[in-house]
Amino acid sequence: MAMELHHTFTVDAPPEATWALLTDLEQVGGCFPGATVTSATDAEFTGNVKVKLGPIGVTYQGEGRFVERDDEAHRAVIEGLGKGLRGLGNASAKVVLQLEPDGDGTKADVATSLNITGKPAQFGRGVMQTVSDKLLGQFVECIEGKLTS
Amino acid sequence: MTAVDDRPQAASTHEVGRDRRRKEDQRLITGRTRWTDNLVLPGMLHLAMVRSPLAHARITGIDTTAARQAPGVIAVLTGEDVKDLQGSLPCAWPITEDQKAPPHPAIAVDRVAFSGEVVAVVAARSSAAARDAAELVDVDYEDLPAALDLRSAAQDDTLAHPDLGTNRSATWVFDSAEAGTGSSVEDAIAEADVVVEREFRQQRLIPAFMEPRSTVVDPTGEQFVMWSATQVPHILRLMLAMTLGVDEGKVRVIAPDVGGGFGGKLQVTPEEIITFLVARHTGKPCKWTETRSESLLSAHHGRDQWQKLTLAAKADGTVTGLKVELLADMGAYLGLVTPGVPILGAFMFNSIYKFPAYHFSCTNVFTNKTWTDAYRGAGRPEATFAIERIMDELALELGRDPMEVREQNWITHEEFPFTTVCGLEYDSGNYEAATERAKELFGYDELRAEQRRRRESGDRVQLGLGISTFTEMCGLAPSRVLGSLNYGAGGWEHASVRMLPTGKVEVITGSSAHGQGHETAWSQIVADQLGVPFEDVEVLHGDTQISHKGLDTYGSRSLVVGGQAVINAAKKVIEKARPLAAYQLEANPDDLEFRDGKFTVKGAGADQEGVGLAGLALAVFAAHDLPEGMEPSLDADATFDPVNFSFPHGTHLCAMEVDTETGATTMRSYVCVDDIGNVVNPLIVEGQVHGGLVQGIAQALWEEAVYDDQGTLVSGSFVDYTLPTTADTITFVTDRTTSPATSNDLGVKGVGEAGCIASTPAVVNAVLDAIRQFGVKDIVMPCTPERVWRAIQDGTAGAMSETAGAAAGHFAEGEPNQDPPGAGSAPAAGTTQEGGQA
Repeated sequence: MAMELHHTFTVDAPPEATWALLTDLEQVGGCFPGATVTSATDAEFTGNVKVKLGPIGVTYQGEGRFVERDDEAHRAVIEGLGKGLRGLGNASAKVVLQLEPDGDGTKADVATSLNITGKPAQFGRGVMQTVSDKLLGQFVECIEGKLTS
Repeated sequence: MTAVDDRPQAASTHEVGRDRRRKEDQRLITGRTRWTDNLVLPGMLHLAMVRSPLAHARITGIDTTAARQAPGVIAVLTGEDVKDLQGSLPCAWPITEDQKAPPHPAIAVDRVAFSGEVVAVVAARSSAAARDAAELVDVDYEDLPAALDLRSAAQDDTLAHPDLGTNRSATWVFDSAEAGTGSSVEDAIAEADVVVEREFRQQRLIPAFMEPRSTVVDPTGEQFVMWSATQVPHILRLMLAMTLGVDEGKVRVIAPDVGGGFGGKLQVTPEEIITFLVARHTGKPCKWTETRSESLLSAHHGRDQWQKLTLAAKADGTVTGLKVELLADMGAYLGLVTPGVPILGAFMFNSIYKFPAYHFSCTNVFTNKTWTDAYRGAGRPEATFAIERIMDELALELGRDPMEVREQNWITHEEFPFTTVCGLEYDSGNYEAATERAKELFGYDELRAEQRRRRESGDRVQLGLGISTFTEMCGLAPSRVLGSLNYGAGGWEHASVRMLPTGKVEVITGSSAHGQGHETAWSQIVADQLGVPFEDVEVLHGDTQISHKGLDTYGSRSLVVGGQAVINAAKKVIEKARPLAAYQLEANPDDLEFRDGKFTVKGAGADQEGVGLAGLALAVFAAHDLPEGMEPSLDADATFDPVNFSFPHGTHLCAMEVDTETGATTMRSYVCVDDIGNVVNPLIVEGQVHGGLVQGIAQALWEEAVYDDQGTLVSGSFVDYTLPTTADTITFVTDRTTSPATSNDLGVKGVGEAGCIASTPAVVNAVLDAIRQFGVKDIVMPCTPERVWRAIQDGTAGAMSETAGAAAGHFAEGEPNQDPPGAGSAPAAGTTQEGGQA
C-alpha cells in the first residue's frame, strides 16, 4: 500500500533552533512514539519503531538516512526502510521536511510517502491516517518540549 | 435391430427421480465424520508455513536460528534445503507447444513471485508452537518491481519473472474459418450492418470452500499415506509420484469427507508437497491445516480476465459473427490446469446462438499475484457472462427487446442435434420451452410494464430485468477431445460393483465426492440397476487403495461420466450372473429376463419365483455348484469414456431494484428454469442450483479479490472479501424442463456448475437495465452500491442536482462526526480498486 501523508505543525521556536533539533536524528528519533534509535550519525540512523495499526501490532527494525539536506533552505529529504519483525512485511518511507518562519515560531511541513506491505497493509489501511495523525501529535508535543525546555 | 419384444426389459426405476435425503448427511450434521484436520496420529508433528509478505522480491537471506531454538520445534526447512527434492509443481495442461512458464517450486528458493508464497516451513510438536516459531524465521528480501495490472503486464512493462523475458505465457487461437467449422469473422464484421464491440472485466474471485485445506502425511508404514482435503485424490497420487520421484505404488492418497471444493481443491498444492517432504525428512507423521487468511491469500484464485468482444449482425438482428479476444491472468505460476481454464470457455462464447463465423483468441499472462486455476464453471461462467452481456448490448443497439433478439438467434428445438460453429455437437435441448416456463414464472410482461411505470413516474427506485439464456458443456470429457487440447490425461471414469455374499452391494467409484451427495445418488442408480434396496448399496470412494482408479470430480463430470461407469459395471454384474441363473433355473440364458433384482424365464408367467441376485451372490461365494467353467465372482469393473460432452441449458431471469440515490441494489425476483436432462435426485439438484446461484450472484454484486499497488491482497479476510450468506439472498424460484441427454443411459447432463454459470450476467443485465436511462453503459463487477451510484452520476443523463443546503445541514462546519479536514485525509490513495467504474 502506498500512501501519501501530509502534516504541518508549528512550534514556538525560531527556524534555526528547530532545524538543529529536527536534523539531530537521535533526538528526533527519541521523540517519535514507540521509536528507539540504536545508533545515529550526522547522515544516518538505525533503530526500531513499534506501531499498533488497528488489530496489528508491528515492530519495524530499520535504518534511515538523509538523501538531501539543505541547511540554508531548511529542507531535508529522509529515506527510511524498516523490516517488520515476525514476518509482517516491510515499510519504507520518504519524508520531505520543509521549515518556514511563522511569526516568532516555525512552521514545519512534512510530506511522507509511505509504502507498507503484508498484514499491516491488509488490516491497517483504514486506520493509517488516524494513527499517523495521532503519532504526529505526540511527536510535535515532544519536539516542542525539547525546544522550550 | 432387435424386435422390441425380444429386448430385455429396462430395469424399472423406483429410486432414480426420488428426492432421497442424503445418506452422508447423518454423519456430517451430527459431527461424527472425521475431516482431515481431525486426524491425530501417534507422534504427529504440526506444520506452519512462513509466507512472503512481498509480491516480488529476491530472498537475500533466511535466518532460522531463533525458530530452530523455539520450544517444541523439530525442524525448519527452507527452499535451499529442499531445492533438489521438491521438483516443480505440476501443470497438466500446456495449451500450446511453445507455452512459457517458470518452474513452480513448493518452497521458493531465491525469489518470491507473489505475496503469500511459502519461503520456509516449521515442524513442531503442536500447531501453536509451529506458528509461534514461524514468526521467528527471519527473511531478508530485496524488493523487485511487481507486475500487478493484467493489461500492463501483457505489455511486458514489468516482468513477473525476469528470467522468462516476457509475461505472456501462451496465446491460444480458434478460428472457425481455419477449422472449417464456419466462415471468416473478419468478413462478417466487414459486411455487417451492426457491429457491437464491448470490453468486459471478469474480476478475480477466491474460492471459499467451507473446510479449509488440510493435509496429513504418515511416512511410517510401507506406503506413504496422505490424507488431504482434495477433490482429486487420484490425480494427486499420480502427481506426487511424478513430481517427487516416489514409486507410485508407495503412495496412498485418501480424501476423507471433504467440505466443499468448487474447483479450489482441484489442485496439487505446494503445501501437500511440503507436508510430504517434511514427513519424509523427519520420519514422523505431519499435519498442515491452513487458516482462513492463508486460504484466501494462497489457495488458488479464479476468473480474472479482460474480455473484448466484437459482434457482427444484420440490421434485422440476425447475428453473423463473433470475435473474442481475451487476456487471462495466470497469477504468478501455472497450477494443475491454470492455462486451460480460459480455454474451456473457448467453445462456449457462441453459446446457444447460431453464429456462422467465430474467432477466439486468448493470451495467458503472468502477474505477481496468487495463481489462478479452476473455480466453479472454469471458463464457462466467463464466456456466458460476456455473450449474455453483449446480446443485451445488441438489443439496445437495435432498440429491441433483449429476449426477442435472443429468440431470433438461438438454435430452435427442431434443429437438434446441432453442430456449433466450434464444432461441438449439442445433442439435445429446448430453449423455447425453458424460456417460456421461466417467463411465465417470472411474470416477464407484468414486470416490464411495472418498469415502464417506474421510469415514467421518475421513481427513486428503478426496476431492471436481466436475462441469461445459457448453455454449458459438462461431463469432462471425451479423452480424444482432451488429447486434441494437449491436456495431460484422459476424461474417462472408473467404477466397480461388488456383490457381497449377503446380497449387499459395494460400489466403488473414481468420482471423488467432496460434498455433492454421490453416495446417495450412486445408491439410487445401483438400486434401480440391480433391483436391490437403496439401503443395501454402500458407496466407497476417495481412497486410492480402495478406489484404485479414477479421474475425480470437476467440470460437472461425476454423474454423466462416473455415473455411467457405475451403470456399465452394474450391467456387467447382471451379465455375469445370467449363466448361473440359467443354470439354476435350468433354462437357456437367452430366455431369461432380469427385472427388479431377479431373473425369470420369459413367458413362464408372473407367478414364477425366479432367482434373485442376492441368492446368486451367495451361491457364487460358496462356489459349490456353479456352471462348468464359471469364475466364482459376480464383481465387475467398468471404465467409461464419454463420446461427447453434455449440454445443460436454461433460462435465468432476474429483477433488480436500484435505489438511484444511494446505488443500493435489491434483488426483487430470481427465476431459473434449467434443462439438465433427467434427474436422479431432485433434492440434490435443488441444492446444487441454489448454491450455484448464490455463487454467481456474489460475483455480480459482492465478491472481488483486491490487491493494493504493492501486491498485498487487501481483501484477505471475510470482513473484506464479502462472501454472502443466506441473509443476503432471496427465495429463488426454480423449475426444470427436460430434454434428456443422448450421450448416457440416464439421459442426465450435469448440474454442479449451472447456477454459477448462468446467474452472473442475469444480475448484471438487470442492474444495468434499471439505470440505462441515465446513460449508464457498463458497471464493472462487483456492482457495489458505490459503483452503481458512480455510474448513475457519471452517466450522460445521470448527474443529480446538488443536494439542497437545508438537507445537508449535518455536514455544516462545526457539526460533530466530521472527518478531520486536511489535504492528507485521503486514506489509502494507492489502493487499486481494479476496474472501478468503466
